[in-house]
Amino acid sequence: MAGLGLLDFGFEFVEIFAFVVLATVGLAVIFGMMGIINLAHGEFILVGAYATTFSFAAGLPLPLAMLAGVVITAVFGVVLERLIIRHLYGRLLDSMVVTWGISLVMIQLVRIVFGNSAPGIGIPFGQLPIVDGPVYYLVLAVIAVGLLGGLYALFMWTDFGVRARATMQDEETARSMGIDTDRMYASTFAIGSALAGLTGALYAPVMPITPEYGTGFLVEAFVAVVVGGASVIVGTVLASGFLGTVNAAVTNVAGTFMGQVAMLIAAIVAIRLLPEGITGLLADLREKRGESE
Amino acid sequence: MAVSDPTIKTKPAVDETGRKSSRVLQTRDLRKEFGGLTATDDVDFALEEGELRCLIGPNGAGKSTFLNLLTGQLEPTAGSIYYDGHDITAMPSHERVERGISMKFQVPSIYEGLTVAQNLRVPLQQVVDDDFAVRTREILERFDLLAERETTASDLSHGQQQRLEIGMAMALEPKLLLLDEPVAGLSVEETAEIADLLCEIAADDGVALIVIEHDIDFVESIADRVTVLDQGTIFREGSIEEIKADPEVKRIYLGEDH
Amino acid sequence: MSVDSSDGHLAQLRRPFEGPNTLGNSSAFWAGLAVAVALLAAMPVVFGYYAAEVGAVFLAYALLGMSLAFIWGYCGILSFGQVAFFGVAGYAFGIVAINVSTLTGATLGLLAAVAVSTAFAAVLGYFMFYGGVRDVYVTILTLVVALVLFTFMGQTAGGEWAIGDARLGGFNGMSGVPDLGIGVGSVGLEVGLVGHYYVTLGTVVATYLGLRALVNSQFGYAMVATREDETRTEMFGYDTTFIKFAVFTIGGAIAGLGGVLFTTQNNYIDPSVFGITAAALPVVWASVGGRTSLLGTVGAALAIQFVDYQLAISGSEWALVFIGSLLVFVVLVMPEGVAPRLHDHVAEYREPNDPEPAETPAATDYPGGDD
Repeated sequence: MAGLGLLDFGFEFVEIFAFVVLATVGLAVIFGMMGIINLAHGEFILVGAYATTFSFAAGLPLPLAMLAGVVITAVFGVVLERLIIRHLYGRLLDSMVVTWGISLVMIQLVRIVFGNSAPGIGIPFGQLPIVDGPVYYLVLAVIAVGLLGGLYALFMWTDFGVRARATMQDEETARSMGIDTDRMYASTFAIGSALAGLTGALYAPVMPITPEYGTGFLVEAFVAVVVGGASVIVGTVLASGFLGTVNAAVTNVAGTFMGQVAMLIAAIVAIRLLPEGITGLLADLREKRGESE
Repeated sequence: MAVSDPTIKTKPAVDETGRKSSRVLQTRDLRKEFGGLTATDDVDFALEEGELRCLIGPNGAGKSTFLNLLTGQLEPTAGSIYYDGHDITAMPSHERVERGISMKFQVPSIYEGLTVAQNLRVPLQQVVDDDFAVRTREILERFDLLAERETTASDLSHGQQQRLEIGMAMALEPKLLLLDEPVAGLSVEETAEIADLLCEIAADDGVALIVIEHDIDFVESIADRVTVLDQGTIFREGSIEEIKADPEVKRIYLGEDH
Repeated sequence: MSVDSSDGHLAQLRRPFEGPNTLGNSSAFWAGLAVAVALLAAMPVVFGYYAAEVGAVFLAYALLGMSLAFIWGYCGILSFGQVAFFGVAGYAFGIVAINVSTLTGATLGLLAAVAVSTAFAAVLGYFMFYGGVRDVYVTILTLVVALVLFTFMGQTAGGEWAIGDARLGGFNGMSGVPDLGIGVGSVGLEVGLVGHYYVTLGTVVATYLGLRALVNSQFGYAMVATREDETRTEMFGYDTTFIKFAVFTIGGAIAGLGGVLFTTQNNYIDPSVFGITAAALPVVWASVGGRTSLLGTVGAALAIQFVDYQLAISGSEWALVFIGSLLVFVVLVMPEGVAPRLHDHVAEYREPNDPEPAETPAATDYPGGDD
């Protein structure tokens, strides 16, 4: 009995951890890189979900439909970046306000065009044998971990990653070293959009798709980004782990809603202790060890 | 004004530092380490009331660090700072400001989005409760900014911005004014204007000044005494003539800066 | 440029409300404002009860907008969650007034609601500002608080979510919230429909004047200095953390006042006040009207909500598309907002050869707004 309880908790943790990670990555990449919180993040996820659903309804197999969701969201992100966002580089708060305007427009346009619901997709892979839950959640968790690993590799080991981190550290210097920072921002925005699209695609079979679909990811995403701080990978992983644990533990005892509240309280306490997020804590530790000043 | 202000409590003839009482500032074994680097190395520094002292030294000598220790921007690793007969080593920045230590930063840090008058109002209302118009006018006249009163600070020339910032520092009616490269990037005329202003502040207002400066001609035009910092320690101290004539000073400058 | 000597008394009266921190310090400005208030006051007389009913809601929104313009425009604190205080006050009023009933309930409800929203803002502000939370982190935390309240109130449909006689009602909302009133038992003043409109209008005008006096006071200069450069302001001996904390708390109180007037007008409140769309509206008003202009924000709130309402009653679904696009357009084309831009044009038109803004006679003849 106790063993089964532990297993339940483990499954719950895996489910929530995956959700927090997937809800956050797209937002975290854009925030870490440009310092912009994309208020239209939820609607990027929405685009991914709608594109997946309608591709699937049109007869594409699910993996291809999801791929379509990712690609369409990425293209959508790039178009927005070129048309609007790029005029706002260096104007942090303005860019946040503008993305919120975009969010309002998109929610309502989706409602006008597609109505209040969209065709559903059944959850693939069936149920788990022992624990009460779909296999698909485990798949999501594996994808989440894989995604974090992939992003780590991208930012740490590739040429693109080096340039991206240089731009992140100091835009002026990066530019003087011949890095086309505008292009870096555009590519980052595309990656962030694609990741948001992927999240929408992956959760399209799980959550009912309505124009407010994206809003369901916002609390987790915002909280994780705030707790994580500006370091995309390390911050997101630690924040997701921390928040996922709190959320899963409380959800297990007191239900989904209390889990969310507990997560918020944990976040507020965490920010009270670490104003710059986990990233700031790491930077402090490094400074104390005398590696930087 | 600090010199003869009768409202200021008479200080003990011998203060906590054991030195004579006209001393406005005294540091004792002041030390600041960053990781493995010692930026300020057991500095004993003293300044008299109304004295104008220039702080020179090659890049990385620890001049700015020293000033930041005095303002409380940085916390010393060891040692003490006495100001006006009191130990202020642990005192937070804003209390030091209230006690009359005022700082002009290297980069003009005025409120660029506000007008000149608004800029002055911010320090002024810390000192006086009324008559802002009168006090503002006095300062504007003195710093030759009367015509720019309603100009947004970002639209001022570089020299005007420097004068505004010194004006803001003086609006706090300080006893000790710290300036980090006040004439960097200014024209010859502008530099001469600032030199006159600083001499006047020291002579007429009795404010003690510490000025970090690279331009040796400028130093010569203002300083009573010069302190040379090198590698975080006081390398030499003396009149400008003595310093200029000192071959060792030339050597550290030539050896490290050129 | 100078104040008419003939109305010296008026000039004296105006003085606390004028200064370089606010736009509009001329006689013409105040005359225009008086006309605008008179027109708003004439609305119910000309257009009838229905106009009063709708207008009061817009005016309550104007208070919410002002609370954001005050903290964002004057102190640089961008809160995306002002609706949290607005909604919490609305619910608090409902809970108290439904349970206590009679005019005592309405009176206590008003006090309790403003106290709760103020305390809520104070606690949140304390944690954020004394915790060293800054900039975008403040912005996002405030939004998250509103969104969590949305989720929280949404799941209160069950019977166990009742406080005394007041059922929170989940997404169906809390209905049967009494009207505004002042008094004890049945003795006192019950605020009817038209009365409510005038009470709200009076609150907006009083809040506007009060905030103008505040931002032109010594504290106002400290706020503006904090907005411009916090480190520098600390070096002048200001406690900027406390300044931000106090400003945020005052903003919460004003938003709460708006929430009470909103809820008592509709006799109803539901969780949508905490939703992402509702949370965006104050940001839209302040951005479009001009966050450094309290009056601009009020004007934008009234105008945008009027258009929104007209579109809604005509059966159109395009209101949100319009509002969102307007926000994007204004931030791209005139980031400072409409009112400051308008002010610059007027200033140029009036004194084509004078680079100084025409509407600051201020500069020469007052020593500051705080005396």
